[in-house]
Amino acid sequence: MIGGAMLEVNNLKKYYRITGGLISRSIGEIRAVDGVSLTVNKGEVLGLVGESGCGKSTLGKTILRLEEPTSGEIRFNGVDVVGLNRHSLRELRGKMQIVFQDPDSSLDPRMTVGSSIAEALIVHGISDPAEMEDRVARLLEKVGLEADFGERYPHEFSGGQKQRIGIARALAMDPQLIIADEPVSALDVSVQAQILNLMMDIRDRDGLAYIFVSHDLSVVRYLSDRVAVMYLGRIVETADKAEFFRNPLHPYTEALLSAIAGLRPEGGERILLTGDVPSPLNPPAGCRFHTRCRRVMPVCSQIEPELHQITRGHPVSCHLYA
Amino acid sequence: MNKGKPARSGKRLIDYYWERLRKNRLSIAGLGFVVFLSLVGIFGPIFAPDPQNTDFMIKNLPPLGFSIEESVYEISTGESTTTVVWGRPDHPLGTDSKGRDMLAMLISGARISLLVGLLATGIALFLGTFIGVLSAFSGGWVDNVLMRFTDIMMTFPFFLLLVMIVFIFGPSLAIIVLVIGLTGWTGAARLIRSETLSIRTRDFVTASRALGASDARIMFHHLIPNVSSLIIVMATLSIPGVIMAEAALSFIGLGDPMSTSWGTILNTGQHSLDTAWWVAVEPGIMLFLTVLSFNFFGDGLRDAFDPRASI
Amino acid sequence: MIPEPVYEITYGNSVGVKSETVLEVKDLKTWFFTRRGTVKAVNGVDFVLRKGECLCLVGESGCGKTVTALSILRLFDNPPGRIVGGQVIYKNADLTTCPITYLREIRGGDIAMVFQNAQSSLNPVFTIGDQIAEQVMVHEHVNRTKAMDRARTLMEEMNIPQPGRALKMYPHQMSGGMKQRAMIAMSLSCSPEILIADEPTTSVDVTIRAQIIHILQELKIRREMSIIFITHDLSLVKEIGDRAAVVYGGRVVEVADVEDILKSPAHPYTVGLIDCLPDVSSQAKRLPSIPGVTPNPLEMPPGCPFHPRCSKVMDICRSTMPASVKITDVHKVACHLFGDKDGGGAR
Repeated sequence: MIGGAMLEVNNLKKYYRITGGLISRSIGEIRAVDGVSLTVNKGEVLGLVGESGCGKSTLGKTILRLEEPTSGEIRFNGVDVVGLNRHSLRELRGKMQIVFQDPDSSLDPRMTVGSSIAEALIVHGISDPAEMEDRVARLLEKVGLEADFGERYPHEFSGGQKQRIGIARALAMDPQLIIADEPVSALDVSVQAQILNLMMDIRDRDGLAYIFVSHDLSVVRYLSDRVAVMYLGRIVETADKAEFFRNPLHPYTEALLSAIAGLRPEGGERILLTGDVPSPLNPPAGCRFHTRCRRVMPVCSQIEPELHQITRGHPVSCHLYA
Repeated sequence: MNKGKPARSGKRLIDYYWERLRKNRLSIAGLGFVVFLSLVGIFGPIFAPDPQNTDFMIKNLPPLGFSIEESVYEISTGESTTTVVWGRPDHPLGTDSKGRDMLAMLISGARISLLVGLLATGIALFLGTFIGVLSAFSGGWVDNVLMRFTDIMMTFPFFLLLVMIVFIFGPSLAIIVLVIGLTGWTGAARLIRSETLSIRTRDFVTASRALGASDARIMFHHLIPNVSSLIIVMATLSIPGVIMAEAALSFIGLGDPMSTSWGTILNTGQHSLDTAWWVAVEPGIMLFLTVLSFNFFGDGLRDAFDPRASI
Repeated sequence: MIPEPVYEITYGNSVGVKSETVLEVKDLKTWFFTRRGTVKAVNGVDFVLRKGECLCLVGESGCGKTVTALSILRLFDNPPGRIVGGQVIYKNADLTTCPITYLREIRGGDIAMVFQNAQSSLNPVFTIGDQIAEQVMVHEHVNRTKAMDRARTLMEEMNIPQPGRALKMYPHQMSGGMKQRAMIAMSLSCSPEILIADEPTTSVDVTIRAQIIHILQELKIRREMSIIFITHDLSLVKEIGDRAAVVYGGRVVEVADVEDILKSPAHPYTVGLIDCLPDVSSQAKRLPSIPGVTPNPLEMPPGCPFHPRCSKVMDICRSTMPASVKITDVHKVACHLFGDKDGGGAR
């Protein structure tokens, strides 16, 4: 089911310049994504976890070039995405898609649902109305909705249904990768399960790969094949799912897991982190996590740790394992 | 697989907004009057007598059902006799000091007010939308330059400009329309720009870009339709302002004295408040009702379009 | 295979809970009379709250749990909302009918409320210190210096670093977690007996959430404070709740000790809710889910509000509202599967 590498991201960086003053001088940078490397294989679900401000949403958008990368490399099926011109980029757009968190703002309220789904087809040159109608109908059925819903407007649907429509829109051009940016966080628990099942069915049937961005570790545990943890713009740990939940290495990962009662390892206590997430404008020196880490050592405030593989396939960036 | 029905029964978009608007009685009343006024303005002058028809024999006739005392000074006898003059059915709203029929003048004034209102608002909103959307969409230095230009135009002394133009070219309604239109777009530009900016950050615009849509497609298919409700509301709320502005300008003599706009009528009527009060009061009432109706209707529209107000 | 976590027996599970009842809600009904129809947001809610206990009101969006909380203090908009039936008994007075002057004393002073979104609950033009002090001064009639001292103590209790400095901050200068804790500090300023917390951790990060839950648990034990904790997240219920009441369609469909309700849920909705959580059934290939959507409060189905989605629906469910029946001394459920078939049942 899981094939070779499809997406390769190498040392990707996305910085936002903050300007201020009368003539808009640059007074700082937000390092939203600060050197991220990851791989996604065909048909694999990579869970990307982290809290607000860690850059996971920005990472997703930068991979799709919805935000222009500041530096770094993105390769999709071997093709360099960063260097693509507008025309080639548009062709690629169908293959890498995105599903958003908020069902209320992900659909244009003035367009029928069918038009929103068909937009991809129009942009890619399909203009025959009969064919469009047919494809929209099939997409709606694929996500569990009736074909004639295409004529209705977004405000007539519930949150779960809107999310299904968003998924249908993403599937319009048969993508190979979908970046799902917290797709179930805004939904009720009972609806959440329906949407997760849908995403799994589509994955099984079409061999899609997902980057599943979430802060909800229990959902990530259910869906993912591999899990990566982000903190302040960097990936601090990556592992296969089983290994990740059985043997978390990075202190931040331990704290994340311990915060949820159902995920604490046997005999574990709840780890309380002191303080708040630092601002991405001013990340701490050395290891970014050292200000809240309960196992901090003197070296942590001076040198930023590199990614090491202690166990094979389980890289972690922490001086405890250097 | 769960097949759900839509949570609410299907309705077309316009029906949906109409349903919401309908509940606001005041705004429906306002809409009713606006429609009535439009019909009067479009078709009225076809059926009404020529408003410019002067007939000094019937000057200063009161409206039907009212009476007024008139003093006539006889030079030969040196006496003034007071008679009571009643309104006549063939001039139901009375006549002015030159014997012109009030109803005909008001009808013709309705047409003028509506034309001025629509044209000036149209010009102002077109400019405002163009600049606002362009500014929001482009961002960067284009946005900066356009907004500074807007700031400058905002401080422009439009009244002074109007006086100067009238001084040079003589008064005319066309001048009023142009001046109001060309200087009144600044508020609209600001509001439309900020609304466009907020729409631009919504997920569905990002989704469009992710699908490969071009900037032009996003602007015309997504941004402008979503700003359209704001534009419509602004139009209905600015038309009365324009009508009042034109009336005020005509009142102080900067309008076309030959026209029968309500402001001009008011101007001629202000001198004869004791002998022919209706000449000033009637256009005044029309202005009042017109402005009120547009405001009620516009408020209702705004509430109907507002996505936050649901129950 | 991840083993079942060991429950921490120092928190939750009825430690520090006295048997004395502080609040009793009886058959509460709050309806909203709107042009589109009558929204029966709360339609017969019963529960008791004991001293020092944390009762979780669990349910999904639109089930009426927030309106229930607002109804206790009559904080909803009136019109269009009105309490049309039932009682809220606190200190021998019925809060649904007491004079507003008395209610104002209770609000903040005896019963305090913490909301989901700290951003919109805090006044952006006053410093945190001012806001907390104002509350103290209004309720306890002390001077400003004393009030500020109390504010400072509260900030320390909330584990807010540099409390003196924090008092002088405006809300926009604080992070999300800090704002949430400041809001809790504000609600505690007059040492209330009951704290109603409406989804206080929904909009904060997981690690901050842990801090806030920890603080609430400490408060419960140290101050013997009762908490009504509103949430849709069952894992939170596990951590902080002593008892849980599941709300659906404006009614309490099941109430029991947290351990009981999670181990042996009775009502089909509760069963479905627990089943469709990823962390419990993480080994299954497909998540069980509850078909359909939560009911539109304007178009409540007749009979049991859950019947359109219930896998065990019977004929009687479509026509008659089930009464609340006792399964054990402390476990009640409102479902025809457990009541007498003619719709009656012991309370």
